[in-house]
Amino acid sequence: MASIVEPGPSGWDTLQLGDPSTVPAEPPSELLYHHQTRFFASLRRLWAHREIVYTLAERDFRAQYKQATLGIMWALLSPVLTLAILIIVFSRAKTFGTEHLPFALYAFVGILCWSYFAASLGTGGNALLTNKALLSKTQFPRECFPLGTMTVSGINTVLSWIPLAILFVVFGRAPAIATLWTPLFMAIEVVFAAGVTLAVSGLIIQMRDLVQVLPVLISLGLFVEPVIWPFYRIPKYLQPIYSFLNPLGPVIDNVRRTMLHGWAPNWGLVGIAALGAVTYLLLGYRIFKRLEVQFADIA
Amino acid sequence: MPTLPEGSIQLEHIWKSYRADLAVPQFYDQLKRLTRSVRSSGRPNHRWVLKDINLEVEPGSSLALIGINGSGKTTLLKVISQVTYQTAGRRIVQGRIGALLSVASGLHPDLTGRENVFLYGTVLGMSRQRIRQRFDEIVEFAELTDAINRQVKFYSAGMLVRLGFSIAAFLEPAVLLVDEILAVGDANFQQKCLKRIGEIVREGTTLIYVSHDLASVEASCSRALWLADAVVQAAGPTNEVLQLYRDSIEQNAVLTSSSEGEVRVLKVELRATDGGQLRSGCDMEIRLTLNSPEPTDAMFFIGISQGTAFPMFVVAHHGVFPAGDFEVRCVLEHLPVPKGGYSIWAAMTGAKAKVLLPWNPLMQFDVFGPAALPAPEGVMIMTPIYVEAQWQVN
Repeated sequence: MASIVEPGPSGWDTLQLGDPSTVPAEPPSELLYHHQTRFFASLRRLWAHREIVYTLAERDFRAQYKQATLGIMWALLSPVLTLAILIIVFSRAKTFGTEHLPFALYAFVGILCWSYFAASLGTGGNALLTNKALLSKTQFPRECFPLGTMTVSGINTVLSWIPLAILFVVFGRAPAIATLWTPLFMAIEVVFAAGVTLAVSGLIIQMRDLVQVLPVLISLGLFVEPVIWPFYRIPKYLQPIYSFLNPLGPVIDNVRRTMLHGWAPNWGLVGIAALGAVTYLLLGYRIFKRLEVQFADIA
Repeated sequence: MPTLPEGSIQLEHIWKSYRADLAVPQFYDQLKRLTRSVRSSGRPNHRWVLKDINLEVEPGSSLALIGINGSGKTTLLKVISQVTYQTAGRRIVQGRIGALLSVASGLHPDLTGRENVFLYGTVLGMSRQRIRQRFDEIVEFAELTDAINRQVKFYSAGMLVRLGFSIAAFLEPAVLLVDEILAVGDANFQQKCLKRIGEIVREGTTLIYVSHDLASVEASCSRALWLADAVVQAAGPTNEVLQLYRDSIEQNAVLTSSSEGEVRVLKVELRATDGGQLRSGCDMEIRLTLNSPEPTDAMFFIGISQGTAFPMFVVAHHGVFPAGDFEVRCVLEHLPVPKGGYSIWAAMTGAKAKVLLPWNPLMQFDVFGPAALPAPEGVMIMTPIYVEAQWQVN
């Protein structure tokens, strides 16, 4: 049996009475609990609970389309409708330039990339709040909540590549062979989105004002990112720092370069973007783990 | 530090504080919280929910946490399961924890029963493969064979509880934490759950059980820990701790008995009609002397409880009661309670539900006789019983 400083009521066979008068008003400071977050231990624990991420994603995905007549078809229809609106609104405003590509195709590729990030952040940022009931009753790693909603956003994004294929057919074009690089760019985006989403979902518990600010920031992001304007508009000397701070920019640009133009990726900027994305993830995860100690108490 | 065997729990000087409820958290406070280490000194607004809790539970034992609402039982469970983190102290739990802290919160209303089995099972710590293997057993245990493909929002409250508990019942954790979940659900299912909990403990799982239902505590746990005002009041064998706990509730009940009604109780007398000891099966005569300022047409209630505020049974009589001092005599035939300590309660309600005498304990008494009712292990004896009574008003 382990030896402890002051054995508690370990002899269960006899009645032991507590004496409230001997309990100090505050715990001695050397007993205070310090939340230690070891990066790899956290990752191992998360990996051991990966089924919960899938399950939460499955729950949200199924619940999303339950009782809708068109059901899962909406996952395909929503991006088409967004595209339709975009074409109607922007088809005459070609002031930003589309690099000699059909505007619909040009914009839709940008929107697909952007909408994954926006959806991840929008739903994932609030994931801890919307899962408050589970959060305060279960003990699995808290990262599962934002990562679960990010998975749903991922599935929705993958499904919306299907309308993109239709668009290619409509314009009588075929994606270039360099399209095969797309998964790499998307991986950078996922890493970046995970970092930001983790940080925001943790911070939002502390600062509820973020709930209101977040949608505004996201809609602002649509214009910060090169979604409806071309990446080359950024001055050359600013491009590296922009790519580091906003890895999504070069991601969108390079998806276009490879898929629509058939050019080689801009490896320099892609590398910087990858570095930036990893930095975001490490930082975001650190913030999240640091704050997680009080999630269940104040959510 | 040698590692403890699988299924053991060790808590050393556990303290837990929550911040005081601030309706509008100040932006400044939030910034401060973000910029400095959260657990560092100076928690300006906080209250202690647990103070210096020491606890060692060996694998395969069953421990009940009892105490009034707000005494820290659920918080202690949350610290053990690490849903929340202690403010101070050390917590060691060996093995997988299955925490059933709430029955319905993990269920998603829009999903079907089947989908929820997988959702809730995974969330509680079961692998999907294991759930698939035991799916039929879970559904059968929940008695939901017909409704399993229906959306959960169309379930009744009882069905939700059955589904929630059934999933948890097949978790196979090393440590099972159960928090006051059987409050809903019908008596049959409660029995079934207690039986299942008994099986789980016999299979070697450590059980920590929180309930206000002392009968179920007695049926399922050999050890008990009584929490009050964030500290441990008593710990030890269940019956001894429960005895202390019941006494404290009774004392509180007598203390809180007010004089809010018009009718006052002057005297309470209890005796066996044959002049012997009060014992199980005897005819017990209750004589109450009361005083009323005016004659009343009222309902008179007498109840017997075993410590807790809920009576085991109540008998009632409708009659006209005179002004001034009067006596109510009631004979309970074949006193249907086993050996033990009991309280007698009375109340009087006039026309339009006017409270003439509020429901309060009048006195405690002991009943002799054979030992407490025998029951199969893990079976809770429910107490709603019908009692033949003869009334007389003088």
